[in-house]
Amino acid sequence: MAETASLRPTFVRPRWLTAPVAAGALLVLFWVGVALTVQWWPIDDPVLFAGKRLASPSAAHWLGTDALSRDVLSRTLHGAQHSLPIALVVILSAVAIGASLGAVGGFLGGLADAAVMRLVDITLSFPPILLAMAVTASLGPGLWHAAIAMIIVWWPIYARLMRAQVLAIREREHVEAAVAAGATAPRVLLAHILPLCWSPILINATMDFGQVVLLIASLSFIGLGASPPTPEWGQMISEGAQKFYQWWIAFGPGMAILSIVLGFNFLGDGLRDFLDPRTQ
Amino acid sequence: MKKGMMNTVRSRCVATTTRRALLLAAPVFASLAGASGLLPASAQAADTPLVIARAMDINSLDPARTWCDTCQIYVSNVYESLIGLGPDNKTLMPRLATKWESNADQTQFTFHLDPDAVFSDGSPVEAKDVKWSWERLHNIKGGPSFMMDGVKSIEAPDAHTVVATMEAPNSEFLGILTAPYTGAVNSDVAIANGANANADADKSDTSEPWFMANSAGSGPYVLADYKADDELRFKANPNYKRSKVGISEIVVKNTKDAVAQAQLLESGAADIAMQIDPDTAKTIKSDSVAIEMVPSYNFVYVAVSPGAKGNTVKLTKEVRQAIGYALDYNGTVEFTVAGQGKLQAAPIPNGFPGTDGLPTPTQDIAKAKELLEKAGLGNGFEINAEFPNMNVYGVDLSLLMQKVQQDLAQVNIKVGLTPLEFSVWRTHVRGDGIPLTAVFYAPDYFGSAQYIQYFAMTEGTPWWKRAGGEHDATITNAKEGDLLKQALAAPEAEKDKFFHDIAMEMINDRVIIPLVSPDVVLAHAKSVKGVRYSACCNLPLDEITRE
Amino acid sequence: MYRYIIRRLIAMPLLLLGIVSIAFLLTHFTKGDPLISIIGERQMDNPIVIAAARARWGLDRSLPEQYLIYVGNLLTGDLGTSFQTKQGVAKDLLQRLPATLELVTAAMLVGCLLGVTLGVVAAHYRDRAADHLARLLALIGSSLPVFWSGLILLFVFWYTLRILPSPGRLDTRSTAPPFVTGFYTIDSVVAGNFAVFAESIWHLILPACVLGWAVMGIISRLVRASMLDVLNQDYILAARAKGASEPRVLVNHALRNALIPTLTIVGFSFAYLITGAVLSEKIFSWPGMGSYAVDAARNLDYPAIMGVTIVGGTAFLLTNLVTDIAYAFVDPRIRFR
Repeated sequence: MAETASLRPTFVRPRWLTAPVAAGALLVLFWVGVALTVQWWPIDDPVLFAGKRLASPSAAHWLGTDALSRDVLSRTLHGAQHSLPIALVVILSAVAIGASLGAVGGFLGGLADAAVMRLVDITLSFPPILLAMAVTASLGPGLWHAAIAMIIVWWPIYARLMRAQVLAIREREHVEAAVAAGATAPRVLLAHILPLCWSPILINATMDFGQVVLLIASLSFIGLGASPPTPEWGQMISEGAQKFYQWWIAFGPGMAILSIVLGFNFLGDGLRDFLDPRTQ
Repeated sequence: MKKGMMNTVRSRCVATTTRRALLLAAPVFASLAGASGLLPASAQAADTPLVIARAMDINSLDPARTWCDTCQIYVSNVYESLIGLGPDNKTLMPRLATKWESNADQTQFTFHLDPDAVFSDGSPVEAKDVKWSWERLHNIKGGPSFMMDGVKSIEAPDAHTVVATMEAPNSEFLGILTAPYTGAVNSDVAIANGANANADADKSDTSEPWFMANSAGSGPYVLADYKADDELRFKANPNYKRSKVGISEIVVKNTKDAVAQAQLLESGAADIAMQIDPDTAKTIKSDSVAIEMVPSYNFVYVAVSPGAKGNTVKLTKEVRQAIGYALDYNGTVEFTVAGQGKLQAAPIPNGFPGTDGLPTPTQDIAKAKELLEKAGLGNGFEINAEFPNMNVYGVDLSLLMQKVQQDLAQVNIKVGLTPLEFSVWRTHVRGDGIPLTAVFYAPDYFGSAQYIQYFAMTEGTPWWKRAGGEHDATITNAKEGDLLKQALAAPEAEKDKFFHDIAMEMINDRVIIPLVSPDVVLAHAKSVKGVRYSACCNLPLDEITRE
Repeated sequence: MYRYIIRRLIAMPLLLLGIVSIAFLLTHFTKGDPLISIIGERQMDNPIVIAAARARWGLDRSLPEQYLIYVGNLLTGDLGTSFQTKQGVAKDLLQRLPATLELVTAAMLVGCLLGVTLGVVAAHYRDRAADHLARLLALIGSSLPVFWSGLILLFVFWYTLRILPSPGRLDTRSTAPPFVTGFYTIDSVVAGNFAVFAESIWHLILPACVLGWAVMGIISRLVRASMLDVLNQDYILAARAKGASEPRVLVNHALRNALIPTLTIVGFSFAYLITGAVLSEKIFSWPGMGSYAVDAARNLDYPAIMGVTIVGGTAFLLTNLVTDIAYAFVDPRIRFR
């Protein structure tokens, strides 16, 4: 999907602030704000036991308390401090690794290209969740191990994307002109090709940001992510799933995931509308 | 008669389905109404199977190789043992053996088999089958093989007499025989399907796939069908004579979580569930469901290992005792099983020999601080806790350890928590050791020696090794081993005293600190009678009847 | 073109070998001991029992030996025996794969139905309220964690309203129809048992909707885009000029052509659905590949993990191939290299 979309890249046409972009930006900004400032908010400690366990929502605990009597709202808000930085690290690393390998492979061609692409093929042949499960299982649990697993899952997508971009742009006249003018290979790649490759990567990275948040939560949900008592959304949902008639335990973290992923999807969708004329 | 009944059921079903379709108001679903109209639905007829909703943990159906809670139910009801355990979970009852006697020093036991007992294929149960089954149990070297540890020889002087000779006095052997795994297998049938009892049975016996699909026992039920992770189906054994079997077909349906089990019970889709946690049990409002909370013999404990490589300080007996005093036992019962559990003093379940009059564990923060001060650790220390990431007997070990973390924080001990998969936990606990962990134990028969052989700081026991006994002489508590020898040689009436003394020693060691013995929640449809929890066998199916 | 397909097919076994090798390394480097689920915890300190179990399951051999034996058996079609179910992994997979495929197919149906409808509506009412609503619904679909939405829907429709059935493929008291395809919906019809047929559909609704909604997002977005492309074409204008009714134009002329590129998305959605299946099978007690994979990973059931990886990998490679070929037919600008 992304591959075809990327075959006809265009220049940014900045027409800011459509409704989706605004909504997405608001949601994302809200959660970034929460993640940065939540420790100063006047709310309960996310780890300390607060009193009555499994209390339903009330004025004192807007989203009730969990099985260890902790405030669910506070834990939900603190969850952003764990999910967001990890998602950022995963995306940045995956883009860095994937894009550079893909660019080099696409530009050089031949053996280097074949090697990178076969590695990409093999990695992409694993269902992502299974690969992440296997990596996390062999590294041991923990959020940062899960992050490594996710980088391994994600980099090939960017490698493919970047390679397709480089291949398409390499054929353009201005690149041929630069080559004819005697520019060195690294200079052609860095100055004449790469600057034109970023828009699909940017769209994808924005959309994937949300997907990474989802996958972290999924791994934690099946017990491969965060260690207790870290307030992590997937793990909170997993706790809530054990007693789902106490709906409030899973409600907060579920809404948190939904809103943050939705925010990034809005942003990505909006970006795509500008950057990719096919969907206009 | 059957046809008429089907018709009434059918018409009821059309009505409900149409209502459902209307509610969803979607044409796709509405088309279903037509199809559903044909269905006789889940009528509660007398010949429908009894459904037990249960998280199945089956790892084999071969009595010499299985090891799990659901396996206990399966093996005890399909492969009858020589001795049964009465409803009081203490009294030994005749089953395949009508009577038995032992010599004065508890080294030789003679069993007289019921001459009328037959296997499910109609052939008689003979002494040679018992001898073969026990020898196979030992030689397969599987999960339950330790049941036959210390057995020197098994003889069959005639078709209905079995004589077992021990290497050392073992007054608990009769208790061991209530464990389901010691049940008699029809040796002729099993041998014909690749089984053997030779010394190299672990290599030469190829019968396990056969045992996964067939059974050859003399118990009240036979295996009808097994689908891994889905269902285990029993059929009544037509040749079973010892008692009248009430239900002709029973299905254990794999139902992972407690809420689903409760829902199935409430909607009538299941008849029995035994793994509903107390919080969930409170949400059951249906009048047709009966719920009983029964004290269990299962318990969850934390273990402190002085020998673990990851320790930041030396976990001397004083420090371990300080940890013991810092824990909030009543609070833990409240937090993990909503108060539906019992405190347990020593790593021997309440009610087992030697546990009468043991001191109740209590929290004493002042005393804990004092002990730590004395050990020079008044400012506390850091300790890493790794534990299996699982929910056992209604206790979520992750929740339990978070409670422990908060308790120990009160005496400045900072606990780091790492949940692990069980298989990884096992490697850690026997590799570098784990400073602080939480695990569980459930009995296989009525008797206290199994606990001493597992938990005591006696040379060679699993927890002695895990606590670092191989490298640190101060871990060993020689008294416990001596007392166990005396207990096993003592006549029935006197052994409790020795077990009591061992229990006191183990409490003092504070390597194993039991936190909670969760109650079993026996939940079943009111129309179902005779559901009870058994210490050896979990759930005796032949006692169940339906109105 | 055909040379390209043949080359891709030839490369497949090599890729599979790569997958097998990586899966083997990953699982065997896990610092865990699978024996605990085979013999139970009580005997894990008994060296005699441990040695017997290691020998029996081939774990006493060196890693390279184990690898060669595994690959050798694999070439003869032997996937090994599961530590946990004690039966052939091939047999295990044959029992569970149909359950997952049935769920995924149903989800795909729901996803396509809703996705295409929403896409057409959105394209027709471009930039109007209906368009925005359709896009919002689609975006929510791809933003929802299925393990949470499944939970919420179960809470509402099963636990509270009691209008949809319990998790699982059939009611607890029912017996599965005799095995033909493993799809209960098909097997029950083959067996002439329409009661079980209705029941299996009934049990499919909730998980299929949860998963279907998740793929609906991708599908509707693509349908909208290609509908917009098509609606600008001359023949649509011509059809409109000839006085064809608007629904007729939309469905007969536009959608038919717009659907071709959409078909290629099925491959991508499949990947998405496998992920979804792993998570939702847990919530819906669905005895499929997903729950088998999770259990296998938990118990370090090496043969089972490998089996799942091979089947999953093959399915992935095949769908990727089909997708790429489909692309080539649709979009001649793609060159095969």
